[in-house]
Amino acid sequence: MQRIILVGKPNSGKSLLFNQLTGLRQKVANFPGVTVELKSGQFDEFELIDFPGTYSLNSLSRDEQIAIEKLNIAVHDEHTSMVVCVLDATRLERSLVFGLQAQRLAEENGKSVVFVLNMIDEVQKHGFEIDVDGLQQALGAPVFALSAKKLIGVAEFKKALPALVKQGKTSHHDIPEAREKVIERARNISKQYGIQADVVLKSQNRIDRFLLHNVLGGVAFLAVMFLLFQSIFTWATPLMDGVEWCITEFAHWLTALIGPGMISDFLNDAVFGGVGAFLVFVPQIMVLTFIIGLLEDSGYLARAALICHKPLSYFGLSGRSFIPYLSGFACAIPGIMAARTIESPRKRLITMMTIPLMSCSARLPVYALLVAVLIPEDATLFGIFDFRGAAFFGLYLFGIIVALIVSLLLNRFTRNQSDEMDMPFILELPSYRVPHWKPLFHRVLNSGKYFIRRAAPVIFIISLCLWVLGYFPQGAGLQGSFLGQIGHIIEPIFEPMGLDWRYGVAIIMSFLAREVFVGALGTLFGMAGADDNIAGLAANIQADGLTLGAGLGLLLFYVVALQCVATVATLRAETGKGSIAWGLMAAYGVLAYIIAVVTFQLVS
Amino acid sequence: MTLWDLQANQIAHVQNFHNALSTTVANRLEEMGFCQGQPIVCLRRSPLKGPLVVQLGDCVYSLEQTIAEQIHLTAA
Repeated sequence: MQRIILVGKPNSGKSLLFNQLTGLRQKVANFPGVTVELKSGQFDEFELIDFPGTYSLNSLSRDEQIAIEKLNIAVHDEHTSMVVCVLDATRLERSLVFGLQAQRLAEENGKSVVFVLNMIDEVQKHGFEIDVDGLQQALGAPVFALSAKKLIGVAEFKKALPALVKQGKTSHHDIPEAREKVIERARNISKQYGIQADVVLKSQNRIDRFLLHNVLGGVAFLAVMFLLFQSIFTWATPLMDGVEWCITEFAHWLTALIGPGMISDFLNDAVFGGVGAFLVFVPQIMVLTFIIGLLEDSGYLARAALICHKPLSYFGLSGRSFIPYLSGFACAIPGIMAARTIESPRKRLITMMTIPLMSCSARLPVYALLVAVLIPEDATLFGIFDFRGAAFFGLYLFGIIVALIVSLLLNRFTRNQSDEMDMPFILELPSYRVPHWKPLFHRVLNSGKYFIRRAAPVIFIISLCLWVLGYFPQGAGLQGSFLGQIGHIIEPIFEPMGLDWRYGVAIIMSFLAREVFVGALGTLFGMAGADDNIAGLAANIQADGLTLGAGLGLLLFYVVALQCVATVATLRAETGKGSIAWGLMAAYGVLAYIIAVVTFQLVS
Repeated sequence: MTLWDLQANQIAHVQNFHNALSTTVANRLEEMGFCQGQPIVCLRRSPLKGPLVVQLGDCVYSLEQTIAEQIHLTAA
């Protein structure tokens, strides 16, 4: 199949054009350790590949280097017939620098080039007109003025493109090799055919005067973040409940069909209990991706990064670390994925490594249980604040503080080795635009797919292992099972934390997923359905005599420990290194253990 | 003066880069429009020495102190 490659500068509306040209089906290829993402879809009889937006063919970071290498290979490939280069009509000079480089690359490899002058609607809105024929002459290649958003000229482009692909070489122009000459040429062409930059930037700067204002900008920022938080915890809840309901109903139906026995126990506990519990987070991740996508496509994300940059830089982080951190309160996995936007590889790594310290929603049931055990319901702090609420706040804060300290240390520790390679913080502030639903829709869908593909296999294997250990020898119950026996053997490890073997088993089981802790402890305390009756289980644990020191230590253990195999799997995929992922799990485990032991010893 | 010295609403022209700036970053800055003689205007200064916002050609950029100090300007 003949192939068409889509390239362009970031924020040139390339993704939307890709979505307008291809149908609903698209494939996304990721490369381990880098943010490079290639989307491919079908246009007419051709395969269309969307390359990541780049400012130049001369790479600055490793991510860019890989993207450019892939582009070089793709342009060289015999199946590739054409390079479609998307230009932002409102920023002709900037998009032409890369455009001319891409044209040169294509011509060197004997491929056709077509330019798309996107966002022509904005040019018209400001009362300008672009001499497309003149530009075509100047560039020596066909130019299509269109608006992927308003669908102006898209139909014509779709109609003309196949013939141009089949016709072969469309571009014949000598592009200078020297970088300075390319920049100069881009400037000259845009001077002649481009529009006045001031007019377009005026409206953008007017909004920025408010959104970047020292006081009002801060208020707007807090409001947006509050909205994001709300969306994660409030709006996603009905969807999560819906998924849970579907899984439970399906499990009931299936196990009733099979009848009681080992297979039914396996399906119920390992498959639906383990993997099913994870699917509950899919809607939350999709809602989160939707809101972040909305912020990014509207242009606000760049402003948020700008506002946060200075305070976060004290800890060796970037302004772009903020959104990943915030996402981490829902689930570390989308947070780690959101860290892709961070410009410096080192800061991205530090951000990814500290995101698991943000208290994710899987920790909530554990916090709820232990706080209920330790703090009486009607207790207040200074007579005004609800003590339990304050404790929750304190736990979240503790996680953030540990994350910042770890970032600071990692930053100090790694600085000398790779400072040379580090990317400076230079950010283009794109124009504010109303997001289009199509790229957003695909993004949300892909986030769900990616999460399931990453997490499900690992979760399944761990579920299977834990289930076998907890189920056999058959009929012995969890106490007499292999897992119970292991618990008794490793009890000495948990003794310095002030905990007995039952907590040890629950902690081990919660490496599958933290919320499993509550159910496991419920089983060990002889209570069925502990997940739904946290207050009852809390009373049982209280009666059993969990000391304040041990309980507090356990809580802090859960704040710090990386007990989530899905997160480890995601870390491995995103950093490209298993050693970082598993090393981090061990390091946070040790740190959490030390904090818990010290807390227990100090308090008691 | 350097770009970091540029006050809000002040206009200047790009002159050159500091010697210490790596070639790859310097090249990228040129491709982003930081070329000799190009007019640049500071749109905002952020509190606490946060990144500044400038308009250069057809784009608006935000740069942090460490990089802004490496760009020399001539006053308009």
